Amino acid sequence: MDMIINPTVVELSRMQFALTALYHFLFVPLTLGLSFILATMETVYVVTKRPIYKEMTQFWGKLFGINFALGVATGLTMEFEFGTNWSMYSHFVGDIFGTPLAIEGLMAFFMESTFVGVMFFGWDRLSPKAHLVVTYLVALGSNLSALWILIANGFMQDPRGGTFDPNTMRMQFTSFIGLIFNPDAQAKFVHTSIAGFVTGSMFVMAVSAYYLLNKKHRDLALRSFRIASIFGVISSVGVITLGDALGYIDAHAQPTKLAAMEAIWKTDTHPVSAAWNLIAIPDRQAQKNVFEIGIPYILTPLLTHTETTVIPGIIDLEQQAKPKIENGIKAMLALKAYNANHSDTSALATFKQYENDMGYGFLAKQFAPDQDLAKVNQANLPSVLDKTANATIPNVWVEFWAFRIMVAAGFAMLVLFAFAAYYSLKNQVERHPLLLKVALWSISLPWIACEFGWITAENGRQPWTVYGWLPTFVSASSHSVAYMVFSLIGFAILYSSFIIAELYLMFKYARLGPQEEHHGDAAPAAGGGLAGKPAFAKASLDRQ
Amino acid sequence: MDAYVFLKVLWWLLLGILLMGLAIMVGMDMGVGTLLRFVGKNDAERRTVLNIVGPHWDGNQVWFILGGGAIFAAFPSLYATSFSVFYIVMILLLFSMIMRPVAFEYRSKVPAEKWRDTWDWAFLISGAVPMIVYGAAFGNILEGVGFHFGWDGQYYQTESFLSYLLNPFAILCGLLSLSLAIYQGAAMLMIRGTDPIYSRAKKIGSVAALVSVVLFVIGGFWVSGMDGYVLHHADPAMPANISTPQDVTRVAGAWLHNYAAAPILWLIPVVAILAMLAGSLAMRANKSTLAWWLGAVAWIGVLSTAGVSMFPFLMPSSDNPAQSITVWNATGSAYNLVWMTIFSAIFVPTIIAYTTWCFRVMRGKVKSPSPSDTHAY
Amino acid sequence: MKNLLTFVSAAVILGLALFLSVILGDYGPWYFAWLIGTTMIILISAAGAAMFDSQDEELSQQGVSKR
Repeated sequence: MDMIINPTVVELSRMQFALTALYHFLFVPLTLGLSFILATMETVYVVTKRPIYKEMTQFWGKLFGINFALGVATGLTMEFEFGTNWSMYSHFVGDIFGTPLAIEGLMAFFMESTFVGVMFFGWDRLSPKAHLVVTYLVALGSNLSALWILIANGFMQDPRGGTFDPNTMRMQFTSFIGLIFNPDAQAKFVHTSIAGFVTGSMFVMAVSAYYLLNKKHRDLALRSFRIASIFGVISSVGVITLGDALGYIDAHAQPTKLAAMEAIWKTDTHPVSAAWNLIAIPDRQAQKNVFEIGIPYILTPLLTHTETTVIPGIIDLEQQAKPKIENGIKAMLALKAYNANHSDTSALATFKQYENDMGYGFLAKQFAPDQDLAKVNQANLPSVLDKTANATIPNVWVEFWAFRIMVAAGFAMLVLFAFAAYYSLKNQVERHPLLLKVALWSISLPWIACEFGWITAENGRQPWTVYGWLPTFVSASSHSVAYMVFSLIGFAILYSSFIIAELYLMFKYARLGPQEEHHGDAAPAAGGGLAGKPAFAKASLDRQ
Repeated sequence: MDAYVFLKVLWWLLLGILLMGLAIMVGMDMGVGTLLRFVGKNDAERRTVLNIVGPHWDGNQVWFILGGGAIFAAFPSLYATSFSVFYIVMILLLFSMIMRPVAFEYRSKVPAEKWRDTWDWAFLISGAVPMIVYGAAFGNILEGVGFHFGWDGQYYQTESFLSYLLNPFAILCGLLSLSLAIYQGAAMLMIRGTDPIYSRAKKIGSVAALVSVVLFVIGGFWVSGMDGYVLHHADPAMPANISTPQDVTRVAGAWLHNYAAAPILWLIPVVAILAMLAGSLAMRANKSTLAWWLGAVAWIGVLSTAGVSMFPFLMPSSDNPAQSITVWNATGSAYNLVWMTIFSAIFVPTIIAYTTWCFRVMRGKVKSPSPSDTHAY
Repeated sequence: MKNLLTFVSAAVILGLALFLSVILGDYGPWYFAWLIGTTMIILISAAGAAMFDSQDEELSQQGVSKR
């Protein structure tokens, strides 16, 4: 009696998770980057003792605070959603996946949310050096937070550090070292953290450009522009380097993601001259690109860092999956028999033989008659194999274009930062209003890059939640459609009102700019302000 | 004792401590949020009330997030099943939890009366709803929850959310939890507040403690007649697998079996009742700090009473008792629990150290903020 | 005494850095790169800001109207 999974509920659960995660990820990159930019400005203040840098730290800190509050609130949703909507997933990998989440709370989240209050309100209560240490701790805390979350995500992309145990019917933690030093987790953490640096730099540079265009707050804006453009240009190089590394790692860990990302249908047996698709319109049905513009000779060195490695195309990958699916079905049936009777050693032996392909058997479930693998027979096997093999490939169109949008935004920002840093170092930015205008209007680029980067990473992982082991289709909780509609409507209402309030406050206080007359932050009238204090509140105080 | 069994019991205790800490600290903030409209009659008073918990609420909330992560890691199957089975209730809890930080941040930023009044209602909802849900979840769990597992570990749900929400015993437990939170919040308002907030909090709080005693005693009699669950031939060292059948029977009054086996455990509910009664008296005698600590003892007593009566059950299944979630079948692997223990041993003291430092840096008395002061909450 | 303390804390930090670079360099090259890279980004942009101030002073000494 296998449970029938309702595909609508799975799709709605995916939609809810994707939307809440993308929403959460609007606030995270700015926190990651702006925190270190604040630390940089304050470092200059502590070293040079020029009050302008303290003012800069406080002003950008105000905007940091608006963003931080929503990042924390929407992060709560993520911590809950694995349990509320991905019950089978949580049960299957909680032993490994839950641990980095718990450590994130212990090691990082406590640190950032405890010190952030002191950072905002401790200016007069701490020596400049002690305050600087607090600012660094906030920056380190938020980036450590990202580290543990991405270690958890790395496990989904390339499961290391755990194996499936037929006696507990779940994946069990076996190697802490394997988990935290997973190459995917490493490269992804650095890629994401530095993407945050780029986001912070672009944010500071664009708002500074706005002041310079309006000839306001020049002392603050010129210095902020200088710091942000240098921060941005080095970080952009870093992001691109790490993006390349991540592609290289994925080429080994997730060949299906790579093939979809580059829309490679047929394996090119002459790797040296293989063409890289600049533009393509993939057609899933016809298994080819309807239209493509390719650049020969660069695909292989770009992806594999060699000239001769053959990159398998989608059609070949589907064929390669078929024996795995057949083995996987055997593994799942043996596992079921073993689970019903733990003294059935022959079932256990069969399972052990095909263990590594069990995920592909799981994947076949949705295509088996009545979602029951026991009903797969010689007659319907070929059709189950075809459908399942087809399902091993993520949505090519989405993957191909999400990746290209991210890369294009990344390179555009590198060019912009390079010009900005060059003219800023020559102290000529104000003579180039066009540069300032472009900088201002590019403010959304890092967010576009980050969101599409997330889509590239997570759409490309499909159809798996844990690559090769657990399909998304079986991971979801078995709710009714009505439950999902209820929560989706609730999220839609709450989150849209939050974003309106956030944008209103951001624009209001960014337009308002720094208020020179208040250098020292007066002790809060309410006394004892600690965590999560509204840094932006100071601006309205200052106006009076 | 087997090392794995030791780890399982250790994490059961740590789960209990986490739930107690959460109830005391987050519950206090929730109680203050619930009371906001009643102890503060005008805007200045309400702002004073908010600023009394202002420095603490965010830090306290992290315990809540950590709680989610720790249950996920240490009791994966419990996290996976309970959060899904109580879906609608959990989503309501989540919505009120994310509304609260926003309410704190935005309420005092706009002076319009209508705006602030709306947010004051948000505080009432986001304070009362989570506490009722917290207690009701315990109530539902004591009664047994309608779920069972397929062979692959996927759960099946057999009751609708209405039976979890509109269930007399669960409502009783929800109200008990809410009244304890109100009591705890009132004690905090007395510690850091002045008249007229002080005397209003005193009046409400001392009554809330007595209401809690009554609800707790009624609940106790209710449980004694209720169907409990008994686990026979347990193998505490078993591999943690929820689909392995256990020998479980439903027996009326079984939740008192642990007390019958070790009568000294009766001290726990007795301490809870005494703490609530003494708390009410302490409030009347203006001993607010003592009242706060008695409230903490009451929470520890109430939650321990429930935990001890259910041990080793974490979430019994009314549907298929053999698949009840217990301490023995739902923990993480031994390897995982060892790492979790190491990290907790390092970081919990570290957190306590720097939190104390931050509180020291930011210490100070709470005055009523001036109407134009948007610096405060 | 103060010098000794500074010396000891510097030695501890150095020891920690060496330890980290040996462990991380082996197991986590990218984590190590992040540590080095982030420090470098911060220092270079801070230096850029310091340079701005000296450029600024130079200009005002030359009597050139500001920028």
